[in-house]
Amino acid sequence: MEMQVETRLSDQIARYLDLATSEAKLTAANMANVDTPGYRALGMDFEAEMREAMDGVDRGKPARPVRLKAVDGLIARPDGNNVSMDREGLNLAEAQLKFKAGVALLRQEYQRVMDAIHVDGK
Amino acid sequence: MNLFAMMETSGSAMQAERMRAEVVAANMANAETTRTATGGPYHRQHVIFAANAGDAEFATSLSSVAGSAGIGLSASGTLSAPGGSGSAVAPGVHIAGVVEDPAPPLKRYDPGHPDAGEDRYVAYPDINPLTEMVDLMGATRAYGLNSSAVQAEKGMIASALEIAKS
Repeated sequence: MEMQVETRLSDQIARYLDLATSEAKLTAANMANVDTPGYRALGMDFEAEMREAMDGVDRGKPARPVRLKAVDGLIARPDGNNVSMDREGLNLAEAQLKFKAGVALLRQEYQRVMDAIHVDGK
Repeated sequence: MNLFAMMETSGSAMQAERMRAEVVAANMANAETTRTATGGPYHRQHVIFAANAGDAEFATSLSSVAGSAGIGLSASGTLSAPGGSGSAVAPGVHIAGVVEDPAPPLKRYDPGHPDAGEDRYVAYPDINPLTEMVDLMGATRAYGLNSSAVQAEKGMIASALEIAKS
């Protein structure tokens, strides 16, 4: 019988963690440029990327770079910068929670594999 | 995806904001300085922030955002691939330069001052404490914002270490 330590679910969670990291990285980049004149906040469509990543896992395709897009609906300051501190703070908290949820799920998944290894109680 | 790259991004911002606060402090300290190495009164300094290009993909998307005056960003803008090449460079911020405010000095009548001119007026730096304080507050807030981002990133890295624990 084939031994499967890396399950489909763990692959999916790994992609999810990658996306959560991308989101946090984007937020960090926006926060870093909160005072840079002319900087426009960058964002990503998490749901669309997630859908594509899940499809990629099923088809066995390698992970693809995240598509960045300018964030709509932000008010630009006179210096052309449109980074909103509140939005970025919330986004960072969200990305952090997503990441922690992914870590918890991944731990559980690996724990299942460990349980199967130790099923004879030794 | 490099988790530490995020800390570098936030770190670059903290460094830049600290520099900005230092320049503000220098401005306030020299609010009454009438003698400098270059001669004449002190001139107000400001910092110029510029976005780091980061890795190649980030640079492309950044320039496409900066290039278009409006919002339109091309759909080809990408963030570095997980484990991809060049993902170690952080798309942070750096100080492009510290420039001198060209505003003319303030003339104040002070005949007893050793630096008074022929007309008995002394040239003082044109420094408004209000402007400097507001700038300092902005730097402090942005520094705090980025330091809480570092805190969050540390939490993420710490929780990633939990995966291996059983």
